[in-house]
Amino acid sequence: MCSASMPPAAGTGLEPGFRGVICASFGATGDTAGQHTGVQPRHDLRFKAANPEALSELRSVLERSHVGVRLVLAGPPADIRAAAAAAAECGLQQEELTLLSDETAPRVIYCPHCHATTTTVRPAGSEVQCRGCATSLATTDHFSRRMGAYLGYSAHAEEAS
Amino acid sequence: MTITALPITAHPAVEGGLQLEVTNISPQTESIVSITLADPSGARLPSYVPGSHLVVQYGSGVNAYSLTGSGNGPTEYTISVLRVEDGAGGSVAMHQLGVGDRVYVSRPRSAFAPASTATHHLLIAAGIGITPVLSHARAAADRGTTSSLIYVYRPGAGAHVEEARDLLGPALTECSDRNSFQKVLAEQLMTQSLGTHLYVCGPVAFMDAVLDQARELGWPPARLHSEAFGAAELDDGEPFTVNLVRSGLKLDVPSGASLLETLEKAGKTIPNMCRKGICGECVLPVLRGTPQHRDLYLTDQEKAENTTMMCCVSRSEDPELELDL
Repeated sequence: MCSASMPPAAGTGLEPGFRGVICASFGATGDTAGQHTGVQPRHDLRFKAANPEALSELRSVLERSHVGVRLVLAGPPADIRAAAAAAAECGLQQEELTLLSDETAPRVIYCPHCHATTTTVRPAGSEVQCRGCATSLATTDHFSRRMGAYLGYSAHAEEAS
Repeated sequence: MTITALPITAHPAVEGGLQLEVTNISPQTESIVSITLADPSGARLPSYVPGSHLVVQYGSGVNAYSLTGSGNGPTEYTISVLRVEDGAGGSVAMHQLGVGDRVYVSRPRSAFAPASTATHHLLIAAGIGITPVLSHARAAADRGTTSSLIYVYRPGAGAHVEEARDLLGPALTECSDRNSFQKVLAEQLMTQSLGTHLYVCGPVAFMDAVLDQARELGWPPARLHSEAFGAAELDDGEPFTVNLVRSGLKLDVPSGASLLETLEKAGKTIPNMCRKGICGECVLPVLRGTPQHRDLYLTDQEKAENTTMMCCVSRSEDPELELDL
């Protein structure tokens, strides 16, 4: 539940009720510095990766923001998709979100058998071994915004054993 | 008690619906009356999505009225009707109903549903626009979601004011003039948490003003929900011909009859709900010709494309229209 009366967390420097543009970048490639966001007030965040600490800080910033705010996420797809999913949980709408994706970075594959995620740089259609259950997963273009990951499926499930 | 005989035939808009009995009449204001309807056998009625409406038949016509309950397992339906002296006669007929009268109604129809992901509902109503919004407030209370309401009404002319006060407490802001409303609205639009969705119901000009201001303050369309009512009375329109390409049929649509009515008379079954150009249910694909769009459903861009039309209200700019039907 996003609450407007929450006291500001130390260090983030975002005043409660912020309605400008929040620019969050991830990793070395993610950079929103050159992104023009117009005349609206702007708040920059830099993270190494979309780890739990980073996502929790992003959530706390969004929880102090009000409707009217916009979020720009830049960096590897795996990080910005995880951040986008966290933002959606806070109530941010797709139209309020801009993704600047570094398409050369690894993609996240979701395993429907054990629910673990595995990163890969291989293109859709290739196989990857799930790091959770070692199933050989065929990767697809089927993307879940909620999971921030592409669906994988057991690659040889239909072959006669 | 006045005994009004049920019309002999049910209007197409209420076909497959319910036959209900008036169980209570309670005046809200000088011109607004609340009418409670129930199944004559006392059976439970179909549940409905908050913000739904009921189409009620009067004589040969039908009108849509918002249901004011939460919609959760109802044993009765309550609507509130504003008497419009120069309307088509529906509201005047509703005001003549008495306890014990029977009416044909549709099943509840949802065209103003709450967003399932919302954690707060900002409700805004003007005048009789309170009715669907009251349904939202009740459902939110039932489901443990918070809501707040800005209610604009002329002093002494507000329906459901006491219920709104009981339901919302300090989350209700009552306004009786434009200036105080503008101030409250601007303040509320700038102080909502990210889980908030906005719902507005009232006269079209009122809703347009609220939605415009919300958009200016950065609210995207996905957060904005509105319920159009009081769609302007449409003129009879020019006669035209429709060519139903797949059926190999040509039909004349006379002035005063809608395309939907003409198609139904010819035995075509067209899915439809509101029959007022609001719900979007009766959309038809257009192959040739320029429709005269008179609905409130299609976007400006969709209207300009001229590939679809709402056959309940829209007509033709050209003498002949070709439909993929």
